[in-house]
Amino acid sequence: MAIAKAERLMNLALCLLGTRRPLSKRELRDSIEAYVEAFGPGNGASGSDDSFNRMFERDKDDLRELGLVIETVESLDGEIGYMARRDSNRLPPITLDAEEAAALGLAAKVWQQARLAGAASGALQKLRAAGLPEDVDPYGSHGALEPRIPVHEAAFEPLMLACRDRRPVAFDYRKATAAHPEQRHVEPWALECWRGHWYLAGWDRDRGAERVFRLSRITGKVRSRGGRYTADVPDVVTVRETVASWAGEIADRSARIRLRAGAGYPLRAKATSVRELGDGWDELEIPYGHGLDAWLVEFGPDVVVLEPAELRADVVDRLRAVAKG
Amino acid sequence: MAGKPVRPVNAIDQTRRMLSLVTYLKERPGARVEDVARAFGISEDELVSDLDVLPMCGTSFRGGDLLDIDTDGERIWWHNPAALAAEAAEPLRLAADEATALLVAARAVSTLPGLRESDRQALLRATAKVETAAGEAAGASSRLSVTFESEGGVFADVDRAIAERRRLWIRYYSPARDEVTEREIDPIRLVSVGHTYVEAWCRRSEARRTFRLDRVAEIRILDEPSAPPEIELRDLSEALVQPAAEDPEVVVEVGPGGRWVAEYYPHDSADELPDGGLRITLRTPDPASLRRLALRLGRDGRIVSPPELADSARQAAREALSAYDGIEAERTARVAEAGARGPQTLHAVPDGPGDGPG
Repeated sequence: MAIAKAERLMNLALCLLGTRRPLSKRELRDSIEAYVEAFGPGNGASGSDDSFNRMFERDKDDLRELGLVIETVESLDGEIGYMARRDSNRLPPITLDAEEAAALGLAAKVWQQARLAGAASGALQKLRAAGLPEDVDPYGSHGALEPRIPVHEAAFEPLMLACRDRRPVAFDYRKATAAHPEQRHVEPWALECWRGHWYLAGWDRDRGAERVFRLSRITGKVRSRGGRYTADVPDVVTVRETVASWAGEIADRSARIRLRAGAGYPLRAKATSVRELGDGWDELEIPYGHGLDAWLVEFGPDVVVLEPAELRADVVDRLRAVAKG
Repeated sequence: MAGKPVRPVNAIDQTRRMLSLVTYLKERPGARVEDVARAFGISEDELVSDLDVLPMCGTSFRGGDLLDIDTDGERIWWHNPAALAAEAAEPLRLAADEATALLVAARAVSTLPGLRESDRQALLRATAKVETAAGEAAGASSRLSVTFESEGGVFADVDRAIAERRRLWIRYYSPARDEVTEREIDPIRLVSVGHTYVEAWCRRSEARRTFRLDRVAEIRILDEPSAPPEIELRDLSEALVQPAAEDPEVVVEVGPGGRWVAEYYPHDSADELPDGGLRITLRTPDPASLRRLALRLGRDGRIVSPPELADSARQAAREALSAYDGIEAERTARVAEAGARGPQTLHAVPDGPGDGPG
């Protein structure tokens, strides 16, 4: 049976961390049983060299993914050597008390995405090895709170990596009201989760402007594109404000409506004024932003729009469409 | 429903864990399996499988200095700790993904409005320390952010009621019926998945219910003790609201402008239509609650079945429209009184062809 990958990675890591001088590829190949078993000793000019080289490169990449800083050193006779220096790999001293440890313990559990859940527990384990106090009862000091960060979108992981590595991407995107997706070329800046949905902010190369994308509307695969960013990345990226304005949360006007007594609690909760009319109806003043017409129609005959005329016309239009059904 | 598949062994996660494990074990001869598993947040089985791999590892295979680590199932012994040079056994710096995962989560949790102030302070201190220790690796964490939302006052009361095991009285808004009802609930836990919810035993319906905090219109902590029956907690990775197989079926056809319905409603199927729309089949215990959806969709979609639901939406729209006739008349009268011309922008409400009963 082939030697498990974790065992091979572990041996490579320990060799690179334990050495005081750079080790050549051949030395590593001869020292690690998994390489010897798969490719034989590194002295023959065998055809397995290419496949060994490929595996070795992948393994180094995997260890870098874990945070290992591997240096490549060229010796006087031109041979390349590898080592993971103590200085560049040691966690700086960090002291956390029991309360802080418990708080981090809670935070490390919130991801519902495999890669980030793994990374968060990995971080905690590294801190544990560095002396992070163990919580006596992980829930004891936090009551019954169970925050979770949902990640249902397939596009999340590739976009997270692209944001991290500042890599341009291309994907097919279907706008909310479009029948067919359209290819977009984007320099991704940041991802933000708001009300349980993930959004991407970035530079849209085709439109030459900043854009916000909802991840659930990305269809198919996120593809990496080569090259550098062409637009400057702003210091602060605000996804939430853009999304809030889509959601009609940013209202610049107000509307006057009649609402049947007892109905429409959420409208009352948002109202700036409520006046009882006494005939089974109340009159409300409510903020008027994007999407208010669709929301008001949901209340059917319990809402009558008084003004502005534009909103009333929109609501009447929608009601007519349903009435004709 | 079938049980969850066993989590596959991820070589990267396991390597990451074993590297921390050797550092941890080096300083704790005879550590208990149970304690180590808890400290690392893994099962004892996972730990034992790590302990099976470690004796195959060392700084040099040829040199014969493999780690001599074994366990009797209770305690873990490392017979040659010198096999690992001090260099290879120091705590490792955080990787970019590790720093990101921990810091983004910590920042998100610290924004939860109901978090106890002492916990928030502890979390903020810890976050700052981790940022410093992570150094450059912390940089990428600004590219990811999460906001939890919840109603601060309601959250605090629910949290307190759970801690003190007391019953709650709430006035709760149900959008499906557009009504606010009073109920007494025995809270079990708070869950934040996008919105924040309290899972509770509802005394009115004698069933487990999930209440969204931003729909709680009013809340009071009662003196009675909370006594929820023993119920199995659900897996949070599932959607919070799962329709049941026996629930009635509703079929909705939407145009391109109504495709969002498939994003918001759990459904059985969504088939593409030639015009770029979708035919969506979903199930709900209470089809009447979807009247709101039918009204909201307007010309972007219609209910195909059940027919009673489609009728009730049409009926509601007609009734709503009739109110505008009244306003029109009122307005015209008022305007006429003032001696001005009638408003130009108002649409009259016609009786559409084929609109009558039949």
